[in-house]
Amino acid sequence: MSVLEGGKISGRQFMAVLTMVRLVPVTLVFSMVTSASNPQDAWIASIISGVVAIPFAMLIARLSLKFPEKTIIEYSQIILGPVLGKLVGLVFLWFSIQTSVNIIRALGEAYAIAIMPETPIQTFMIMLAIMSCYAARSGLEVLSRLGEDTLFIVGFIFLVACVLPYNAMRLENLLPVLAKGMSSLIPPVVASLGYYSQFIMIGMLVPYLAKPEEATKYAIYAVLISGFLTTAGCVSVVAALGTTANSWTLPLFSLARLISLGEFFERIEAGIMAAWTLSAGIKLALFLWAISVGIAQLFNLKRYEPLVFPLAAVFIPLALVAFESMVDLEDYLSKADAVAAVIIAVAVIALLYAGLGVRSFLFPGKEKYR
Amino acid sequence: MKPWCILRAAATVLLVLAVISSAGCWSRREIQEIGFALLIGLDHAAEEGKVMITVHIAKPFSLLAAGAGTAEEKAYWQVSSTGRTVFDAWRNLRQQSPRRPLLHHSRFIVFGEEFARSGIREALDFFYREGEVRETNFVVVAKGAKASEFVWGEYELEPMPSRGALGVIKQVAQELSTIVMVTLNDFLQMMEAEGIEAVASRAEQVWRPPSQDPRGQLKNEVIAVSGRETGAAAFKGDKLAGWLDKVQARGLQWVRGKVRSGILLIEQPGKENKLASIEILRATSTVTPKISEGRPSIQIKVDAVGVIGEVQEYLDPMASEEIWASMERRMAEAIRHEIEAALDIAKHEFNSDIFGFGAAFARRYPKEWDGLKRKWDEEFPKLDVEIEVKTIIRRSGLTRRSMQLVRRKEEV
Repeated sequence: MSVLEGGKISGRQFMAVLTMVRLVPVTLVFSMVTSASNPQDAWIASIISGVVAIPFAMLIARLSLKFPEKTIIEYSQIILGPVLGKLVGLVFLWFSIQTSVNIIRALGEAYAIAIMPETPIQTFMIMLAIMSCYAARSGLEVLSRLGEDTLFIVGFIFLVACVLPYNAMRLENLLPVLAKGMSSLIPPVVASLGYYSQFIMIGMLVPYLAKPEEATKYAIYAVLISGFLTTAGCVSVVAALGTTANSWTLPLFSLARLISLGEFFERIEAGIMAAWTLSAGIKLALFLWAISVGIAQLFNLKRYEPLVFPLAAVFIPLALVAFESMVDLEDYLSKADAVAAVIIAVAVIALLYAGLGVRSFLFPGKEKYR
Repeated sequence: MKPWCILRAAATVLLVLAVISSAGCWSRREIQEIGFALLIGLDHAAEEGKVMITVHIAKPFSLLAAGAGTAEEKAYWQVSSTGRTVFDAWRNLRQQSPRRPLLHHSRFIVFGEEFARSGIREALDFFYREGEVRETNFVVVAKGAKASEFVWGEYELEPMPSRGALGVIKQVAQELSTIVMVTLNDFLQMMEAEGIEAVASRAEQVWRPPSQDPRGQLKNEVIAVSGRETGAAAFKGDKLAGWLDKVQARGLQWVRGKVRSGILLIEQPGKENKLASIEILRATSTVTPKISEGRPSIQIKVDAVGVIGEVQEYLDPMASEEIWASMERRMAEAIRHEIEAALDIAKHEFNSDIFGFGAAFARRYPKEWDGLKRKWDEEFPKLDVEIEVKTIIRRSGLTRRSMQLVRRKEEV
């Protein structure tokens, strides 16, 4: 057990933060719908990717359970040896840093597009980063408790946005199913799996579970909940926006703008913006925490807290220079980032399992790594 | 002085500065610096190649008085602005408006007839790209007028034309069903989707002769121009193809399944030239596309429920079953007549698939539709449409048999 982080989290908190990891892109850019040439079938892509994500989440959770009280950074060094193991750790950190940078920029762009075009985007980014830094510095326990409460709020807002524009929805917009063939499903499935790949974060969280044996169960729940919400979002967006669904920059936001009940319950996009901020804040906090702890473990530091603020301070300029524009960001998120994320996640897991296999072949009878 | 005291003092100063500087946000819009645009109209400007937008901006100070009914001045300010593009024209409005106009509260997008006939595709982009415009705005086309002229129209009972027009449109849609109510979101989807052409609400100007009231009151002001919102504007592509009158618009609404209520006039069975008014309670419809031996056809099924609202001549439904059944048949016939009127004008005059029959094929027969869509313009006018109307008259109001108010000698 690392002395870096003494927190213990419950299974439900574990599930909540993981769900948030998947929900951030859905509430913001919703690549599943926007990357689809045929958004009518996005809900099928969502179900497919959810089904694929379940064994993936199970594999990471199972692997982590073989090394109790060790994070993916630590056990990759046990499995693959110090050099290759540290390299895998670095790849994991690089992947997480890229994700954090994406979140920061996406939230800033979303705010600038939706309501405050004149305000410099840095304002939103810095506010988000400060908020998340405080959460990350408070430790995993605080962060997860926050995540558990936030999930209810975000989930509620999400469902409200999906259900209340019902008078603008026409379910026949979902027909015909698979008009452009199965191949049109590939981009949205890849985009979705790219986000599910971030569930590799399970490797950082399992050692801090109060009951680690529940990890697999709650990881599957997290996939199911986020898969359900994503599918509901796909169905609602397409039912309400029809073929124009993939022309909107922020589909869920545009969906919420259609809500108009009895001329008084309308203009509730502010709720969607609350969901953006809360979900992105929790996700960024989790990633900042994981990156700081990961760096501390990789380089044998005694504390991780001092790393949080400097990291965020680096991420903000990175987020500013990494993308030229919102189009650039969206293009990157739905294509290159998604493909890279899938490749990295699959490669890391495959490498670790292969290493495990080789070890048990070389040193039979030493499957316990306590 | 201890070093931490200096630190503390510095922190206090910083905090005070932070409080002072955070009195407002960057993109703040103070209520006294903005003007709410209530509708936006689009026309060609007099100058070639320019668009003219017309907006109504609410006057906040007269709004307060308007509630009391003592307003001496109009509650809104009508202003037009021109530019090469819609956004250009919208920004040029700043040259005239002392307050920053905002579109968040706009309820209508009004197209002038001439503008709509020449194509609106280029103008629409602004409305879904600009975050201020809601997709719940209603799309209206002004018949026989420029948008800037149409919005002169005022409505009794409402100080704001936008509120007045909204009230009329909602009532017509709810109580008469002779108008199509189309939000910007619906409109954009109809324009983009395959196999369906767009429709919008039709609005006309009504001129009233001056000094209608001869009684000579102290204040005798009658609204000179008003609006009347009925019917539909049918588009072909992005160009206005023509108008659907009240009957044709309801015919379209029967097919779309959007009829809420309304009055159907039928001839009373057995009584020449005497009318019965059937109030429509509810209606549903299904559109089923069929392809048999390569020939596409459409089957429309309408189920309608009505009640007897009024008869002009004596009616005793208990006298014979035939009377009731006959009224139901006549009701079905009236509905069929309306649908056929709409089909006829859409097929033969506009050649515009406003019913979305093509979209129905695309959903049901996606493979066949791929071939069909290329020649849909030729196929649609000769499409076989089978109309099946089922009607039920449920009840006859508080009256069972009519009262014989004029007793006839021979009947007594």
